[in-house]
Amino acid sequence: MVNQMEEASLFSTGKFGRFGGIFVPETLVTCLNKLADEFNLVLHDSHFQAELAVALRDYVGRETPLYFAQRLTNHYKNCNGQGPEIYLKREDLNHGGAHKINNAIAQAMLAKRMGRKRVVAATGAGQHGVATAAACAKLDLDCTIVMGDVDMERQSSNVLMMKLFGAQITSVQGTFKDATSEAIRKWVEDLDISYYLAGTAVGPHPCPTIVRQFQSIIGKETRKQAMEKWGGKPDVVVACVGSGSNALGIFHEFIGDEDVRLIGVEAAGAGIDSGKHSATMAKGVIGVYHGAMSYLLQDDEGQIIGPHSIGVGLEYPGVSPELCFLKDIGRAEFYTVTDEEALDAYGLVCRVEGICPALEASHALAYLGKLCEGLPNGTKVVVNCSGGGNKDAKTVLNYQLEKQIASHTCTSH
Amino acid sequence: MAFSASSSSSAVICRTQTDLPINLRSRSRSLLSPKLNRVGATFCRPIVCKMAATAVEKELDPAAAAAAPLQRPDSFGRFGKYGGKYVPETLMHALTELEAAFKLLATDDEFQKELDGILKDYVGRETPLYFAERLTEHYKRPDGKGPHIYLKREDLNHTGAHKINNAVAQALLAKRLGKKRIIAETGAGQHGVATATVCARFGLECIIYMGAQDMERQALNVFRMRLLGAEVRAVHSGTATLKDATSEAIRDWVTNVESTHYILGSVAGPHPYPMMVREFHAVIGKETRKQALEKWGGTPDVLVACVGGGSNAMGLFHEFVDDKDVRLIGVEAAGFGLDSGKHAATLTKGEVGVLHGAMSYLLQDEDGQIVEPHSISAGLDYPGVGPEHSFLKDIGRAEYYSITDDEALEAFKRLSKLEGIIPALETSHALAYLEKLCPTLADGTKVVLNCSGRGDKDVHTAIKYLKL
Repeated sequence: MVNQMEEASLFSTGKFGRFGGIFVPETLVTCLNKLADEFNLVLHDSHFQAELAVALRDYVGRETPLYFAQRLTNHYKNCNGQGPEIYLKREDLNHGGAHKINNAIAQAMLAKRMGRKRVVAATGAGQHGVATAAACAKLDLDCTIVMGDVDMERQSSNVLMMKLFGAQITSVQGTFKDATSEAIRKWVEDLDISYYLAGTAVGPHPCPTIVRQFQSIIGKETRKQAMEKWGGKPDVVVACVGSGSNALGIFHEFIGDEDVRLIGVEAAGAGIDSGKHSATMAKGVIGVYHGAMSYLLQDDEGQIIGPHSIGVGLEYPGVSPELCFLKDIGRAEFYTVTDEEALDAYGLVCRVEGICPALEASHALAYLGKLCEGLPNGTKVVVNCSGGGNKDAKTVLNYQLEKQIASHTCTSH
Repeated sequence: MAFSASSSSSAVICRTQTDLPINLRSRSRSLLSPKLNRVGATFCRPIVCKMAATAVEKELDPAAAAAAPLQRPDSFGRFGKYGGKYVPETLMHALTELEAAFKLLATDDEFQKELDGILKDYVGRETPLYFAERLTEHYKRPDGKGPHIYLKREDLNHTGAHKINNAVAQALLAKRLGKKRIIAETGAGQHGVATATVCARFGLECIIYMGAQDMERQALNVFRMRLLGAEVRAVHSGTATLKDATSEAIRDWVTNVESTHYILGSVAGPHPYPMMVREFHAVIGKETRKQALEKWGGTPDVLVACVGGGSNAMGLFHEFVDDKDVRLIGVEAAGFGLDSGKHAATLTKGEVGVLHGAMSYLLQDEDGQIVEPHSISAGLDYPGVGPEHSFLKDIGRAEYYSITDDEALEAFKRLSKLEGIIPALETSHALAYLEKLCPTLADGTKVVLNCSGRGDKDVHTAIKYLKL
C-alpha cells in the first residue's frame, strides 16, 4: 500500500491516503504541474544527478558520518550495564549546520535548469532562509527571503547571514506561517521568472515530494553506513518533527522495512495541555493549509493556532501530509517532548559527547530518555542530529540564567 | 596513517652562539649543572648541544644539503636556529615523555585506527577540496584567463575550524599517557571550545585559561565552554589577553605536570609541540594531495593560508614542503596597517627572540617586551609565530605577506556573495591575498586556499564595519 501511495504522489494528485493534494488557486495549478514534470525529468537525468552529487560532496560536505555516541550510550545503560546502542546521523556537519541545505542546493539547481532567475522562499527560524540564500549565491540566482517580523527579531544572526549572501529580506507581520503565505503570493506575481523554494515537506503537490526526495539522501547514506558498521539495518530511527523534512529524509529509505521502527518527536512546548506547543500530530485536527490537507493546529472555528516551541524550527501549525499518512496507517509513531526536556537534552549531549545539537534535534535526543529503558540490549538506535546548536547557545544561556534567578527568588521567600 | 613522526638524525650539527644577534647572546649553560632561565623571557638562552659519546660532528656539503629533504625539526626540536625547548627544568621530563609517546604512537596501528575513526565519524573528515567556480570567474582577466581556485573546506569540520584536528589527537594522546586533566589557553575562544569539546567527548577534566579582557568580549564562547563541562579561569595579569593566558597555562603545567597534559593550540611552544601539532594537522595537506590528483591529475601550484600561530598553514604546507614546484604562501594580519603599530605581522615586522618556550620571530620592542598585537580576527592576534614558519621564511621556501583588517573584511563579504560560504575573518586574510596574487598567475594555475574556519562567529563583528 505504501508503494502504491508513493507512485500516486509522484505522478498525479500528490495524495498520501487522504492527505496532501493540490489545494491551490487555478493560477498555480499549471505552474505546479510544470514543476512536477521538471522534477520527474531531473530524477532520471544522469547529468543533473552527477552535478548534484558533486555539489553535495564538495559544497555541502556529504556524506555525513553515522557516529557511534559511546558516552551517550553509556549514559542510557541500566544498572545491569545493558541498553541500546545510540548512533547520531551528523546532519549538523553539513555546510550551514543543518539538513536544510540538502534540499536548498538541489532545488536551486532545479530552478536554474528551469531558467528561473529569482528564487523566493519563506523561513521561520532562518535555517532554510540561510541555506537558500547560500545556494543562490553559489549559483548566481537572485534571492528573496520572506520572514515574519517576530522571527526576524529572534534570529538576527540568521538575518545578517542571509544579507551577506546577497539575499533580499522581506518582512511580514507574524511568523513562519504568515511568511509562507506571503512568499506564495510573491511567487504568483511573477510565475515565469520566480521559483518558490519550499523548505519543508508541506505545501501543495509536488512540493512535499520534492523536498522529501532531496532529503532522502540522509536515509540512503544511513542504510549504507549501518551495513558497513554492523552489517544490518537500524532497529529504531528517531527524528524531531516540525513540518517533517528531516524526519522524512531519514525515514523514507526505511518505510518499506517493517522491522525498522520510525519515531517522530514533536514539540510539546510549555506542555501538551498548556495551549503553547507545536504538537500537530498529538493535538491537531484534519484541515487544509498552505495548499495541502494534513493535521493542523486549529481552533473550533478553523482558525490556525499559533504554535510555540523553544526549538523555533519546530514551530509550524501544520505537518507533512506524508507523515500524517504514516501515522494513520501505523507505520510511524509520534510523541512529544517539552521545552525543558529539550533544553536538558541539549546540555546532556554537550557534556557527554562534545556535540551541541540544535534545539530542534534536542527534542529527538530528549525522547531517548523515555525510549531507551524499553529497548533490549544492543538495539541499534539512529537519531537524526538534524542541526548544530551554536545558534541556540544564547537561548540556552538565557534559559539557565532565568532558572537561576527563579530559584534564588524562591529561596529568598 | 593520521600522522608520522619526523626522523631524527644520529649526527648533530652544533651551532654556537655566534649565529645569534649580539643582543641575544648570553652565558653558556653547563651541561653538568643546568641552570634555569625565565620562562617566556624574550632574551635568548644559549642553544645547548647535547652530545652523546658516540656522536660525530658532521657537516653536510652544500650540494647534498640542497638535495636532501629539509630536517624539520632536528632531534633537538630546532628548525634551523628556530624552535628548541626554552623551558624550566620541571617541564623537561614532561616534554621528553610527550615526544617519546608521540614517536611511539606514530607506529602504533591501534592508535592510528582509533584516531582515523574519530577524525572520520566525529570530526567529519575528509573535508572536500571545493572548486570555487564563481571566485575563479571573478579573477579571470579580460582575455578570459586566470588561475583555478580551490578551497580546502576545514570550515566543515565539527566546531567549524581546523583546530579540532589537533585537539582530538592530543586528547587521545593524553589518554594514552594516562593523564586525566587537560589544560589549554585560548584567545577568542576557538581553541578553548575545541579543547572543551574533545574533553567532553573523552571524559577528561578540562581547564581553560582565558584573559579576563577576552572573557568579557567573548561571553558566549565562555558559556559554550562551560556548557561543554570545562572550567574557564580568568587571567588578570599583563594585558589579560592570549599571551598572558598562555603564560598562566604554562605555569599550571609546571605545577601539575604529573597529572596534566597541556593541549597547545598551535605550532608554537617548546619542542615537541610545533612538530606534534603540525603532524596532527598534516592530514589537511595529505588529503589535498590525494584530492588534487583525483581532480586534475597533479599537485597544486600554489598553496595559500592565513598565519596567526601558524597551525592551519603548516597543516596544509607540510605535505608539500619538499615539492619544490609548489609555492607556499602565508598571509598574516596587517591590522590597521604595517606602519600603524597595530598589527600582528610577526614575520614581516618581528625580530628573533624566545617566547613561550621557542625561538622564533616575535613582535617585541627595543627592551624585548612583547608588543600587543592587533587584528580584527582574534585567531591571528598572536605576537609570535610557529618556529617552522620562521625557518621556512629564512630559507626562502615559503613567502609571507600581510593583509589589513579592511582588506580582510572585503574578502569576507566577497566569498559570501560569490560562493555562499562565510569564511572566518582569519581565513578572510588568505582570501584577500588572492586580489594581489591572481593577476600574476598564469592561466590555469591551480591555487589551493585553506578555508581554515567558518565565519558565522564573525558575522556581528563584520556587520559593524560592512555596509549591507
